[in-house]
Amino acid sequence: MIRNKTLIVFSFIFFTSTILEGSTIVIKNATIFDGIEDSSYLGHILIDDGFIKKVSKSSMVQGDRVIDVKGKIVTPGFIAPDTEIGIVEIGALSVTRDDESNIYDIGFSIHSAFNPNSTLIPWNRSNGITSAITLPRNTSSPIGGLGSFFLLDSKMNINSNADMVLIGRLGASGSSSRAENLSLMEDILSFGLSLNKKDIASDITIDEIIENSSIASYLDLKARDVKVLYRLFDEDLPLIIKSHRASDILNLISLKKKYDLNLVIMGAQEASLVIDDIAKNDVPLIINPINNIPNSFDELASNINLAQRLEKAGIAMMFNVSRDHNYHLIRQGAGVAVANGLSYGSAIKALTSNVAKVFNIENRGSIKVGNYADIVVWEDDPLEPSSIPERVFINGIETDLTTRSTRLRDRYTKDLNKPNTYRN
Amino acid sequence: MKKIYILISIISFTLEATNFEPYESTYEPLPYTNTILKNANIYDGDGNEFLETDIIIQNGKIISIGKDLPGADELTIVDATGKWITPGIIDIHSHMGVYPAPSVKTSSDGNEATSPVTAEVWAEHSIWTQDPQFALALKGGVTTFHVLPGSANLIGGRGVTAKNLQRNTINSMKFPDAPHSLKMACGENPKRVYGNRGQTPSTRMGNIAGYRKSWIKAEGYLSKLDEYEKKSDEAKELSYKPTRDLELETLAGVLRGDILVHNHCYRADEMAMMIDVAKEFDYKITAFHHAVEAYKIADLLAENNICAALWADWWGFKHEAYDMVQANVAIVDQARNGTGCAIVHSDDEIGIQHLNVEASKALSAGLKAGYSISKARAMKWITSNPAKAAGIYDQTGSLKVGKNADVVMWSRNPFSVYALVEKVYIDGALAYDKSSGFEPTSDFDIGIINPKKRRIEE
Repeated sequence: MIRNKTLIVFSFIFFTSTILEGSTIVIKNATIFDGIEDSSYLGHILIDDGFIKKVSKSSMVQGDRVIDVKGKIVTPGFIAPDTEIGIVEIGALSVTRDDESNIYDIGFSIHSAFNPNSTLIPWNRSNGITSAITLPRNTSSPIGGLGSFFLLDSKMNINSNADMVLIGRLGASGSSSRAENLSLMEDILSFGLSLNKKDIASDITIDEIIENSSIASYLDLKARDVKVLYRLFDEDLPLIIKSHRASDILNLISLKKKYDLNLVIMGAQEASLVIDDIAKNDVPLIINPINNIPNSFDELASNINLAQRLEKAGIAMMFNVSRDHNYHLIRQGAGVAVANGLSYGSAIKALTSNVAKVFNIENRGSIKVGNYADIVVWEDDPLEPSSIPERVFINGIETDLTTRSTRLRDRYTKDLNKPNTYRN
Repeated sequence: MKKIYILISIISFTLEATNFEPYESTYEPLPYTNTILKNANIYDGDGNEFLETDIIIQNGKIISIGKDLPGADELTIVDATGKWITPGIIDIHSHMGVYPAPSVKTSSDGNEATSPVTAEVWAEHSIWTQDPQFALALKGGVTTFHVLPGSANLIGGRGVTAKNLQRNTINSMKFPDAPHSLKMACGENPKRVYGNRGQTPSTRMGNIAGYRKSWIKAEGYLSKLDEYEKKSDEAKELSYKPTRDLELETLAGVLRGDILVHNHCYRADEMAMMIDVAKEFDYKITAFHHAVEAYKIADLLAENNICAALWADWWGFKHEAYDMVQANVAIVDQARNGTGCAIVHSDDEIGIQHLNVEASKALSAGLKAGYSISKARAMKWITSNPAKAAGIYDQTGSLKVGKNADVVMWSRNPFSVYALVEKVYIDGALAYDKSSGFEPTSDFDIGIINPKKRRIEE
């Protein structure tokens, strides 16, 4: 079978690339969507010691290993900005979930729970996602929970950027008014803004600060929580607030202005109703471009053309998906957005450089000299979910594209004369 | 006593005389235009592809497919050059109407999760006909959908097949002469829902015992019914008709072969067991739904003539959905020399709008697994195969002369994510037209954000 050959070729490449680590690779004759330019160009990429050393339109680039991709599309590795990769293995199985804390709210970090052996990593990587931001589940606090950035290279020595984003939410709760939610959010922010370096010098000073703050004592904040609130302002940490309703978005923009927040709004199904305010205040959005369902009374304006309208207004966007595990389907969402008017170049940026920019992920998200070589060679159009990567490089190293899923497939389509449990 | 019998006979006579059938379809198509779609590329839903071909729809039916067709003069002409035509898409697993949008408690009516066997409930009695999701699905080319109760119960109740022509009553949407279906569910859901309450079933063996007990009751009921119906009219007058039992009526309908079983089941070992349960009580399973592990027993499914209704790539949301293989659809399709019956379903309000892309993913995975499957064949997964599983293939599901003209015109090849639906015909009548903005709007969508506008009007 043809598949057999491909597998052998793949494993061979993986093997050799491991040996040649540190030597140079040239990806030749690539149709490059670099994540910066709107359109593609034919070029050649030199990878040296994990980094992009040269991107050239002239074919004079030399390297130890030359891979002629014959005009295939090459993009930066896609970055999924909203995932549970590494902290949830099976959704409905609580013993495989590490996305919740019973003690911490604001300062809850999932970073140490990350499992580099999760099956979600090879699965999403083989579909073109080379890195991801993993977020905890919502906490009971309107602001609470830290997300981390992870490379999906399956290394036990985790390559990550820990606790680089704080999350929160604003909207219908079903039990109390969103006004309460917003007031609480503002009280927390105001407490955070009041903190100075001396306040967080030691656990003793933090305890004093908590005691002297009615909101901090009411919320029973811990030292971790307080430190994170200090970081929010001191480091201008990105703050992702999940919110949909147009009026909530406006309230969040007011908070952004008042507290000078590095605000990102996620969901934003009603963004089209307040699009000028979002644009004027430079609020990047994480949207699910395929979601046109008025799934709640906060999302009545859900419309399939949102991405196209954000592009016109000049708003930076990134994509997420509503279902778990298949985070690579942000590609399908991007394809649907393009079918409904978004430009192709903007779609690629939404999957790559926009995420890197908004979340300060340095030297990733675009194909340019000096960046890490997170690069995907696509068999066909990456926005067609029916097409998959042929090669995936992370930090300049070609990764294996085998997944548990392809193993199971092969087990039930090959060597059928053997009993199934005795097959590969 | 005898007077009562006479009275009953009179009543039943009256019922027959006025032809009053409760819950029957009162569907009527929209006014149709006799149309020729010219120079189209066609997947006919039966596995064939025709390029640059004309198709005539007249009086609600497909009249002819070919080149230089006679009798085309008096028809409305639609230039379909460069476009693709397929049968109306059919979703065999939808919860539209029973889990409508917005997703709120007050209209969350899909699971009668109060007892593990609720064969007496009918999904059609829950459907909210103003669900805004119907119109969105129409724009994805869906002309027919099969709504099932949820999977909390071992036996969840009857499903219903409807035309995607949104109206104010479910009877006016019901697909005429479509058989009823029965939703059954294996595995984690029933055992979780009832196990958590300290009730049976709390294990998979409890699940199986639950089905078997129900079928035993149904057999008893059916034999009483048969016994009564075999009697002469005189003898019937002198005896009691067995008291109606809604639960057992449904189950007896399955045993009689009138009601089609649609069985939610993920794991291969459980599907194999359900086939045994069906053999024990001599009923047929029409389709396994979700069936993430169908590829492990694809031959068994083909041998037993059971369809598998599948996602292209969903996995991992629960343990029984962990062993996902993207070639699942293709492996089922190709089983036993291509006699398998594979269906791509949605079970999702977004997925239903993109079943063409879901099929495309499944096809691509099949090709990568080494199978040779044409796009024309893959089109069956979302047209004729679900039509067969819904028992309506004689009426729709492929562009066969004489069938209902349920037709979709796509902007380009529908196996691309960029393909948009441009026109949808249901029974030969235009139900959606992208270029003119002709589309249905549910009452829900009227004036809800801006009183002067529809929900998503700009």
